[in-house]
Amino acid sequence: MALSAGTRSNGGSANVAQRLQKELMDIMTHPTPGISAFPVDENMTSWAATIDGPADTPYAGLTFKLSMEFATTYPYTAPTVLFKTPIYHPNVDFSGRICLDILKEKWAATMSVSSVLLSLQSLLGEPNNSSPLNGQAAELWDKDMVEYKRLVIARHKNPEELET
Amino acid sequence: MMSRPSVLAAGFHAYPPPAFEHVVHHHHPGVSYRPLPTSRPPELPAGYSQQHTGHHARTATQVRMSGPAYMASDEELAQLQKLSQDYQPETTGPLVGERQSTSALAHEYRDADPAYRVKTASLPDKYAFFRTCRGDGHCGWRAIAFTYFEALLRAADVTRLEDEHVRLRSMHNLLNHAGFAEDVYNDFADEAFELLQRLADSLRALDGSADAVLLDAFNDPSVAMSIITYFKLLASAWIQSHPNDYAPFLDYDVKTYCSLNIEAAQCEIDHVGINALAEAVVKPIGFALEVLYLDRSQGQGDEIDTHRFEPTAPNGQPLQSITTMRLLYRPGHYDILYKVEDVASPMLQQQQPVPTQAPLQVNLAGYTDEFVPMSSNMPDIMTMIPGLYPSGIGQRWPSLSYDCDPNPVPQPQITPVSAYAPTPTPAAPVASSHQEYITPVRASHISYHNPPSNHIQLQPPVNIPMHPAPPQPSLSIDRGPAIVERGGPFRPSMYELEPGFGSGQPHSLPFQTSIFRNSHYNTAHFLNPDFQPEEWSPDSEYATGNRGRHKSTSQ
Repeated sequence: MALSAGTRSNGGSANVAQRLQKELMDIMTHPTPGISAFPVDENMTSWAATIDGPADTPYAGLTFKLSMEFATTYPYTAPTVLFKTPIYHPNVDFSGRICLDILKEKWAATMSVSSVLLSLQSLLGEPNNSSPLNGQAAELWDKDMVEYKRLVIARHKNPEELET
Repeated sequence: MMSRPSVLAAGFHAYPPPAFEHVVHHHHPGVSYRPLPTSRPPELPAGYSQQHTGHHARTATQVRMSGPAYMASDEELAQLQKLSQDYQPETTGPLVGERQSTSALAHEYRDADPAYRVKTASLPDKYAFFRTCRGDGHCGWRAIAFTYFEALLRAADVTRLEDEHVRLRSMHNLLNHAGFAEDVYNDFADEAFELLQRLADSLRALDGSADAVLLDAFNDPSVAMSIITYFKLLASAWIQSHPNDYAPFLDYDVKTYCSLNIEAAQCEIDHVGINALAEAVVKPIGFALEVLYLDRSQGQGDEIDTHRFEPTAPNGQPLQSITTMRLLYRPGHYDILYKVEDVASPMLQQQQPVPTQAPLQVNLAGYTDEFVPMSSNMPDIMTMIPGLYPSGIGQRWPSLSYDCDPNPVPQPQITPVSAYAPTPTPAAPVASSHQEYITPVRASHISYHNPPSNHIQLQPPVNIPMHPAPPQPSLSIDRGPAIVERGGPFRPSMYELEPGFGSGQPHSLPFQTSIFRNSHYNTAHFLNPDFQPEEWSPDSEYATGNRGRHKSTSQ
C-alpha cells in the first residue's frame, strides 16, 4: 500500500486560498464598523487590514494599519499579524509585534481574520498589563493616563504618512 | 526508524515554558509570556504532567543556553521568542504509519531501562500490531480519529458508515449550542463526511481499497487537520454541554478550558479531551476505547496500565460484541495498537495472501493470547494445544491479562521472541527431539493439565526467570538441542501434537509442523526477513465454544 501523502500536495495552499476567499466574502458581505481587511496579493496569503481605535480609549479617532501573513498551514496556525502603524501600547513592541494569546497558544482553527481584528481592537482598550512588551506603557497606563495618551499621539502616524 | 520518545513528544512548543518565561523576565522584564497552564486534572495517569513538562524543559534548555550567556538585545530576544514560537520538533515519518508488528517496539526498547523493557517485551504477546502517529502535537487527536474510522471499516458495513454520517450531523446541535459558527465548522465536518463517503464507496466497490483510502486521507495534512479539528470541536461542544461532568476536573471554567486545551489549534489531547471524545464520538456507536500507558509507573508489575472506556447498551448493560479502539500512550505521545483479532477483517484478507489453512495456525498465538476461534468445523483441535490460551480469558475482557491468572509457574512468554535459536533444518532434527517429551494427545479432555513437575523438567533451570527479572535474551543460546524454541504463550508440554498430526489435511507449504511455524523460517514469523503476518478467517476455521474450558488449562 503506497503512501501518497503528496497526492494533494497542493491541497494545503489551495485550501488556504479557499478558506481565505470565504473569509473575504464574509467581510465584504457583513462589514464590521471599525475594521477592514483585504488581500494584497493574488494568492491571498498577504492581507492588509485596518482597525479604528475604540472610542473612550487613548486610541479613539486613530486608525491603525496592520499586515497579516497566512502560512500554508492556516487556519491550523495563527496568521502573523504586525502593526504597520507605529503604536504605543503595552502589548505591542516598537517593531509592531503583538503579544496576544489568540495569536499564539490560544489560536484555534475556528478563528478568522475578523475575529483577530476584533480581538486586536479590544486589546487597544484593554491591554494585558501583566505581560507587557512595552513595560513603560504598561506602567503609564495605570499611573498617568495623560502622559500615556500624549505618547500614543506622539507615536501615531496617519496611514497616508506611511511609506508602505 | 523512530527516535522515541523525545522526538515524538511534540507539540507543546507553541507554549513558551514557564522556565523560559522566568529567564526572560530576569534579563528583560519587557518581554513576557503568559505562563502555560500546567496543572492537570487529578485523574491523569501517573507521570502524565511531569512527562509533558519534560518536553517543555527541553525547549527551555535550548533557549537558556543561548539566553543568559549575554545580555540579549530587544531584537535578539524577539528573535529567540520567534524561534521558540516557531520551534517545530523534528517530526519524521508519515502522519499515520503503516501497521507493523509490535515486536519492533520491543526491539526499540531493548536497551531502555528495565521498566520499559519488561513492559514492551510482553507487548507483542497481547498486541500484535501497532501504527505510528507523527508526534507533531496532534497525535492523540489523530490516533483517535484514525482508529474511529478504522473501527468503522472493520464491520465492512456501508450502512454503518451512512448511519455515522447522520449521527455526527445530528451532533451539530451541540456545536451550535456551544457557539461555533456553522459555516466555520462545516468546512471541517465536510472533510470527515467526505471521508465517510469515500470509505463507503470503496466498500461498495469491494476493491479492498478502503484501508488505503483511509490511510491516504490521514496522510493528507489538510484533510487530516480538518478531521482532527472537527473532532476537537465535537469534544469541546460535548464538554460545554456537560459542564457538571467535567467542571470538577478543570482548573478553569469550562469555556476557558475548552478554548485553551481543546479548541486551540496546537494542543495535544489530555485526559479530559480523551474522555470527551470517548463519550461523544466513540461510545455511542458501541466502540470501546482503550489506552495503554507505557510509562515507568509500576502499577501492576510488568503489565502496562490500561484505561478502558466501555460502551454500554441503553439499558446500562455492557455490550456483548465490542469493537475496541486501542491507543498506546508513551509520555507525550500516542500511537495506535491492535490485537490480532482487530485486524482480521474480511477486507484485509483480500490484501494479503492467506496461507493454506493448516489444522494448527500456532504462529498466531505467538502474537496474541486472545485468539478466539470463530467457527466450529474443527471443534477440538485447538484445545489440544496446552498454552495456546494461557489466560483463559475471553475476548470480552481484553484488558485483563494472563499475568493475573493464578498459575504459579513462571511464564516463559516474557522471554522475548527474539531469543529464537536458528533451527538449521526445520523439520527433521527437531522432530526427533520432540519425541523426548511429547506424548501425542488424541483426546481433548486430558489435555488441560500441565503437571508442574513436568513443566519444570522441561525448562532448563537457567530459563526460569526470577520475578520480576527482565527478560534475558541470551539465555536460550545455552539451551540444549532437546529444547524446542517457542515464543509467546507457549511453554513446553508433554501434551503436544506429533509433528505429523493432521497430515491428512491438505498442505501447500512444505513445512507445516508446529516447529517450523514457530521458527523464523516461517514467513509469518516476525524475525523472517520476508515477514508477512498470517491472517485468519473467522468464517472458515477454528472452533468456538471452547473458551470456557481453557480456564482449566492453567490450573
